Amino acid sequence: MTDAPATIFANPAASPFGRRQRRARGARVPVSIVTGFLGSGKTTLIRALLATPEGADTAVIVNEFGEIGIDDALLRASSDTTVLLGNGCVCCLMRSDLQETLRTLYAERASGAVPGFRRIVIETSGLADPGPVLQTFASDRALGAEFHLQSLVAVVDAVAGAGNLARMEEARHQVALADRVVVTKTDLAPPNAVAALTEAVSRHTAAPVGIAHNGAIDPAFLLDDALDAPHPAAHHHHDHTHADGIASFTVFFDRPLAWPVFEQAMAVLTGLRGADLLRVKGLVAVEGCRGPVVVHAVQHTAHRPVELETWPTPDHRSRLVFITRNIGQAQIEALFAAVAAL
Amino acid sequence: MAQTASSQAGSLIWNFKEIAHHTLDGFGGMGEGMSMQLTKDGRRILWLAHESAPKNFTAVDVSDPRAPKIVARADLPEAHMRSNSLETVGDILAIAYQTQRPGLQPAGFELLDISVPENPRRISYTDCSGPHSRGVHQLWFADGETIHMSSGAPDFVPTHPKDDQFYRSFDVRNPSKPSEIGRWWLPGQKQGDNEPPLKRHPDGNDSGFRPHNTNVYPDRPDRVYMGYIDGGMIILDIADKAHPKMVSRWDYHPPNVGFTHTVVPFFDRNLLVVSDECTRNDGADWPKLVWIVDNRTEENPVPIATCPLPPVETFARRGGRFGAHNLWENLPKAGCWKSDTIVFGTFFNGGLRAYDLSNPYQPAEIAHFVPQVAGAPTGACQLNDVFIDDREIVYTVDRHVGGLYILEMDF
Repeated sequence: MTDAPATIFANPAASPFGRRQRRARGARVPVSIVTGFLGSGKTTLIRALLATPEGADTAVIVNEFGEIGIDDALLRASSDTTVLLGNGCVCCLMRSDLQETLRTLYAERASGAVPGFRRIVIETSGLADPGPVLQTFASDRALGAEFHLQSLVAVVDAVAGAGNLARMEEARHQVALADRVVVTKTDLAPPNAVAALTEAVSRHTAAPVGIAHNGAIDPAFLLDDALDAPHPAAHHHHDHTHADGIASFTVFFDRPLAWPVFEQAMAVLTGLRGADLLRVKGLVAVEGCRGPVVVHAVQHTAHRPVELETWPTPDHRSRLVFITRNIGQAQIEALFAAVAAL
Repeated sequence: MAQTASSQAGSLIWNFKEIAHHTLDGFGGMGEGMSMQLTKDGRRILWLAHESAPKNFTAVDVSDPRAPKIVARADLPEAHMRSNSLETVGDILAIAYQTQRPGLQPAGFELLDISVPENPRRISYTDCSGPHSRGVHQLWFADGETIHMSSGAPDFVPTHPKDDQFYRSFDVRNPSKPSEIGRWWLPGQKQGDNEPPLKRHPDGNDSGFRPHNTNVYPDRPDRVYMGYIDGGMIILDIADKAHPKMVSRWDYHPPNVGFTHTVVPFFDRNLLVVSDECTRNDGADWPKLVWIVDNRTEENPVPIATCPLPPVETFARRGGRFGAHNLWENLPKAGCWKSDTIVFGTFFNGGLRAYDLSNPYQPAEIAHFVPQVAGAPTGACQLNDVFIDDREIVYTVDRHVGGLYILEMDF
């Protein structure tokens, strides 16, 4: 008998984060979430997306069929909760909870019961706080093995958006947590109102802001992976702190981090202040790794880190976007420096 | 243009991008021989075996994978033969010839000089015909020195007509004069063996005891990894090439319907990836699987998982066969892609599928390609084989009419 070698797993020293990926989503189904208040133009934006070549083969999850305005696009009902649209798209009613809806849709695709959609767009209800939805995708036990959160898009309309942001905490949360913000209905508002709204939005988030024209925007702005190409280094990264104590800032590290340093610093943060760590996302240059490691955490829950094959930018510095409540950039930087010094 | 027309309408594509499709000018019924020649003038020529007569092989220039061009093709001399398997090393092309019935000719293997791909020239032909032989079904040619094959022989009398082929190896260092090195068969397969004849598989499921693929890798030049059809998986020790010895055998049929096809070792992982071949339509021999086998203890291979397939309820009735067949074999040659994490297999109407083996206990499907094949006689594609080059371009062929599909990995 020969001695049995230890393992049938790949050598973890060669690739500590598993198979290197071309992109953060790997082979998973990309999911884009569109939030925004009632009347902000979410439905119009999604309907316009579905009509583009880039939007073909999309499965849309909505709360009510009426919301997506499918009447003219309805081809046939595939089940009580799913209808087939044109352009290879599917519209699916939200069941009792999002996880069940997504799992059913995934199984129906495998069995051929619905067309082979290539992405999912979720239209949330107006008042929804995106936090719990983000957590749905965070762990493999939930949906993280099959689905990848590609982008969280907040829709703000130029007519009522400024008022909502001023009065409604949910509206501020939606903007603060978003990867991208779309301003709609600019044709209905005076030009100075659009500028004022854009300025108001930028007080709540460092995320890119796009202007929709006739209810539509470049499909890539809705669908591209926010983690593969995070905010460029040149982006201003002063604190965006507002009345709720929510701040958004980007932290850079000039030198690669040892992975245990990153892990332990994050463990301290989530252990002591997890509830206030609304979102952390970005690329980490990890000692010994060829590509950057994509990280994403929502409150206490961290997504599985993924090592990319190559850096998407010439700048190979770690960059992490923090969206926090009453935790400042200086505190975060001090924590990482202290852990790294040990 | 027909040769680059997209087949995407009606196709199921996930995490692949189809970049070209060539129907091979009406002769798109392809076998399980796919090999890439890197020519001295810098071209990549993909040599493809046809499933059946009248065509022998077709050579396609895939230097630009978006614009494949046929550069050579040949007919078979007889309608009662096929050249289902081929391999290239450098400028030599080896082709297996098998006849429909024992006793016919030509049944053997041919070596061709393809230094000018447009003008293949015979170097030698080795006869393997005989009163009980159909010739060569498959050959493995990777190191330029030895061909390992599943073949009959003039002097081999099987105990059952379906067991006519066995493991043979030939020294082809002098390609004009191949010489036999070694033989091995399952004890009881040949008349005159001391062991009793092999017990047949029941209920009309007797496909025979003989090798299908006979893979040998530079990582372990002393091993042959064989799918032995109804005999399961067999590993041979060929440290003494003239006297092969069996190291281990894993036979899982019955209860499963036989037809073990290919064994691909992932050496760094101590894993074997083993494929069945589905040979019957409409799910009659279901399940036909790709197995993941723990080979840490070579004498005792242990199956630990199978690669998940789409629901049999949906696919078995799509037309033709549905189940495993060929795997990407990590061909140990220049220009070939290699992985010990990702498995690619063709599953007839289940298309081409890729699996991530990061967790070998839970293979996860990461990509599939199920083309809509115009004019498919069974009503669905029958993807038959797959080849992957070191540009990460994936080539797959249809068994009946679809020809060659060229894809990019997108995962």
